[in-house]
Amino acid sequence: MKSAIAAFVAGVLLLGISLGVWALSRPSAEAGDAASVEQALSTPVTEPITPPTPSTTITSLPDSTQPEPSDAQPTTPQFTIGVHPEGHNRVPVTLRIPAIGVEAPVKPAGVEADGEMEVPGNVSEVGWYKYGSAPGESGSAVLAAHVDLAGSGPGVFFDLRLVEPGDIILVDLDDDTTLTYRAEARTVYDKDDLPTEAIFSRQGPQILTLVTCGGGFNRSLRSYDSNVVVYAVPLDEAAPVSPKDRL
Amino acid sequence: MRKAMMTLVALMLMLVPATALAQTTDGTVTVVHGVPGLTVDVYVNDALTLEDFEYGTVTDPLTLPAADYDIDIRVADSDPASEPALTELVTLPAGANATIEANLDGDGAPKITVWVNDISNIDAGNGRVTVRHTAAAPLVDILANDGALFSGVANGAEGVADVPAGDYNVKVTAAGDAAAVVTEVPALTIPEGTNVIVYAIGDLAGDSFQLAVQSIGGLHTPPAGVPSGTGGELTNGLPAWLLASFAVAGAAFAFGGVQVARQRG
Repeated sequence: MKSAIAAFVAGVLLLGISLGVWALSRPSAEAGDAASVEQALSTPVTEPITPPTPSTTITSLPDSTQPEPSDAQPTTPQFTIGVHPEGHNRVPVTLRIPAIGVEAPVKPAGVEADGEMEVPGNVSEVGWYKYGSAPGESGSAVLAAHVDLAGSGPGVFFDLRLVEPGDIILVDLDDDTTLTYRAEARTVYDKDDLPTEAIFSRQGPQILTLVTCGGGFNRSLRSYDSNVVVYAVPLDEAAPVSPKDRL
Repeated sequence: MRKAMMTLVALMLMLVPATALAQTTDGTVTVVHGVPGLTVDVYVNDALTLEDFEYGTVTDPLTLPAADYDIDIRVADSDPASEPALTELVTLPAGANATIEANLDGDGAPKITVWVNDISNIDAGNGRVTVRHTAAAPLVDILANDGALFSGVANGAEGVADVPAGDYNVKVTAAGDAAAVVTEVPALTIPEGTNVIVYAIGDLAGDSFQLAVQSIGGLHTPPAGVPSGTGGELTNGLPAWLLASFAVAGAAFAFGGVQVARQRG
């Protein structure tokens, strides 16, 4: 009887201790103050009627005094609105997060037919929402990548949930410059509660927003129920980046 | 008491739109010059607002308090007291985005047209194209990438469509005859979240026919979500050491159970 009691007690102790250690050692889903970043991005900066859009200057047309060919040939006026196809002067090409060993190419991404953001089918690539802000512009520059993909295994953002406030994030642009960010907050949103207006805001403070999936996984839908989001803020350009933060 | 509550609720409901309106007492106005061969001065409520305004020009948007405005257009450098060439009383409602255009009617006579621009939100990934026929020209068709976009557009009419953002080859043709190209824009950029408004202006017979373009940005909406995982690798379960300790605890329980069973047996 004594040995039976001892076995039960040992079993209960072992269960309790190991569950406790597991719970404590698990990275918590959230860190830093995500709500304040969200708030800053949601605050209207300009008057609500028509925010000015510098990339879409009104085009004045070819000089009307130009003599037109008298045989009524079709005229071919030229229209150019904005510099880059999407109005950006420079676009991101590489994302580096030394703390979780990420160095990945960044590709422009648009919108799927169902209205959701396009995320690269290649799990080692990161998609940049090309219709929103680019890194270095006002507002939130969104970089999204798969946490994993059926048939492809873990994706480039598999460890995004492990990024801690203070971690350095580097974005290389196509003009050979690098922007340095510091992770400010990490949070998890239920997919139905993803604050898309804030995350995709094209105005307000410069924020780098990294997005992937997380939370519970529904095997029949093959879909996660949450998004893991990391908000990062630009580091003062003068602030040195220590060599260990370079990959 | 119940009636009082109902009144209170009704009052509160009435207050909500009033507050919403308070934030948008202004309207936005853009002016387009589409009368060929004439440089003009534009007066708003008898004040010279646009001087030496040339054919084909589109102004930057002006933000004005919602009100009625007297618009007078005179040939450039005319006496401000002289009879205007064109005059119109324009009502600008709060929150409206309007374009005031001086243009030719179908017979080539100058007139003022007031357009209300569609500034409703545009789905993520799309832009909006608006085409306005304000030239002395017959019915036209508008083709985008050689597909029909708007058909049989008459002077004074417009077509509005939301399309995926991108570059489009746009042709203006005689109605019903895709080969009779009046003008062609090899690559018209429709940026995402932007209403690009194209005006056909001038006189087709008089060689002054051309296009003018206005654009209104900031109409974008965010994508609906970010689908970024289908593998389920994250929830592959608990760490191996934890599973191992579960197994050991299970064995301890089993051992204890066997002991108890023996005692009783």
